Amino acid sequence: MTGVSTSSALGAGAHAAIPAHAVAVQGLTHLYQDRKALDDFTLDVPEGSVFGLLGPNGSGKSSFITLLAAMSAPASGTVRVFGQPAAVALRALTGVVFQENTADPLMSVGETLHLAGRLFGLGGDSLRDRSRDVLIAFGLADRVHDPVATLSGGMRRRLEVARAILHNPRLLLLDEPTTGVDPDERRALWEALLGRQRHGRTVLLATNDLAEADAVCDHVAFLQAGRVVATGTPRDLKSALRRESVRVQWASPSPAQLAAIRAWPGTGELSLDGGDLHVTVDDAAAFVPRLFSLAPGTIRSVSIRQSSLEDAYFQHVSRRAPTAPVA
Amino acid sequence: MKALTACSALFGRDLRAVLRSRSQLYSSVLTPLLILVFLGNGVSEGLSPARLSGGSFTAYLVAGAVVMTAVFSSTFSSASYYRDRDSGILRMFLSSPHSPRVILLGKSLAGILIGLVQAVVVLAVAAPFVQFDWQYGVPSGLAVAVATILLLNVMLAGLAQALASRISTMQGFHLVMNLALFPLLFFSGAFFPVDNLPTWLEILARVNPLSYAVDALQLAAYARSGHGFFGLGLDFAVLGTLAVAVYLLGLAKLPRLTWSGR
Repeated sequence: MTGVSTSSALGAGAHAAIPAHAVAVQGLTHLYQDRKALDDFTLDVPEGSVFGLLGPNGSGKSSFITLLAAMSAPASGTVRVFGQPAAVALRALTGVVFQENTADPLMSVGETLHLAGRLFGLGGDSLRDRSRDVLIAFGLADRVHDPVATLSGGMRRRLEVARAILHNPRLLLLDEPTTGVDPDERRALWEALLGRQRHGRTVLLATNDLAEADAVCDHVAFLQAGRVVATGTPRDLKSALRRESVRVQWASPSPAQLAAIRAWPGTGELSLDGGDLHVTVDDAAAFVPRLFSLAPGTIRSVSIRQSSLEDAYFQHVSRRAPTAPVA
Repeated sequence: MKALTACSALFGRDLRAVLRSRSQLYSSVLTPLLILVFLGNGVSEGLSPARLSGGSFTAYLVAGAVVMTAVFSSTFSSASYYRDRDSGILRMFLSSPHSPRVILLGKSLAGILIGLVQAVVVLAVAAPFVQFDWQYGVPSGLAVAVATILLLNVMLAGLAQALASRISTMQGFHLVMNLALFPLLFFSGAFFPVDNLPTWLEILARVNPLSYAVDALQLAAYARSGHGFFGLGLDFAVLGTLAVAVYLLGLAKLPRLTWSGR
């Protein structure tokens, strides 16, 4: 992900002066097979931003993308894309990369782009030129005649993204675009997407990869059970946390020991993940010696790091999950 | 205009897909031809069907073989909805700025054209080996045959779409299509004349839409007179009405466009 931070800077700079919203959603409820996939969902996505939607599986990320692409209708609430109600005609302004591969394995790379271009109203020279540009940008120019079936997983994902931006959409909806993609391919994809092919477009990224979101997004929203539970810039969300995160490998802390740790001054969020205890603290240098005196001989290791977006995520999302919180 | 472009793009894509699927292409044409060769010659020589006007059961069977080709072809073409849905590409189509009906229209038009071409190929391949009568003359007879095949394919495309709207798996779709269409083929006049059948079977033949396609094709290429046939007027009235009605019904009933429904 070394190339991502450069791209992130591109993304962050591009939207700073533009206060308009690419997406404005108010009180959205969406049903999926009798279950509320989205429940009183409210969110604004600044135009020109790279906006991350982060949440566990089933939190409503894909449902939200489907609604923005006007591929399904909400049970209630309003969805506005560039100030207009989401509708079939607005899809011309939107490009979508779905979680699953959606390229026909029997078609060639060139045919895939040609078909997508025709569906989005491109033709003739403009289609040829745009196809050539995105093929070069995404490193697929030498595979133009090859069937999609012969591409690697990473190349297929690059083709999906290239196809989604072929018609220069103002809003790009990415549903876990880098799932199953190795780090090199991931880097190539983001460099192409947020580099010269960016064109100031708004990117909405649904992902489970918190490190990726931290690197490329300038705004994020945490989702849980179909609701937005926190939103802001990664920096704001991280700065709201305690300064440091301590991971303790500790086989069996007792409830009394955990309660004691929670009561110490400067201790923030506490969560247990298997045999690991995660604690956010103001001052790890003071916390760790105290911890060893509380449980001498039972702690296997301790690691300390600066708080990350992952810590912010678990602060907002885990504490609502039924199995994660410490009593 | 944009919808037309999208339709033609999907039409072209489905045509290319079928042309690349050699096994589908060959089997759709070869199966009816093999039936003509083996069943036609076997019955003609072995049973001497005296009640047929020309005495050649092979010539009699051509109309049925053509209808059978249309049935096979429409089933295969419609199965492409399932392939596209399961491979995920249908989601991409549906994220384009067109209504799902435009997508269905483009795909079904390709299926209709493929079915038409395959059925005409069966007719063309059979022609040199079978004694056709062409009672209206060759050009008019051919025009009647092509129009009949076209209407039949439109009707079958509509039927396939309507069924696809109710059936979630391709296996189930094939099963239901076979279950619905094979019995219809048997008492359509495709394999034996329907004018001297027991009353109950004759009634079934008269309410069977495929009977009118077989009738029109036999009148065009096989029959020496209109005696014992429904007549072209009735054939085209029934086929035309059903083609329009069933195709519109098929377009009105959108198939399950994504597996998850999201």
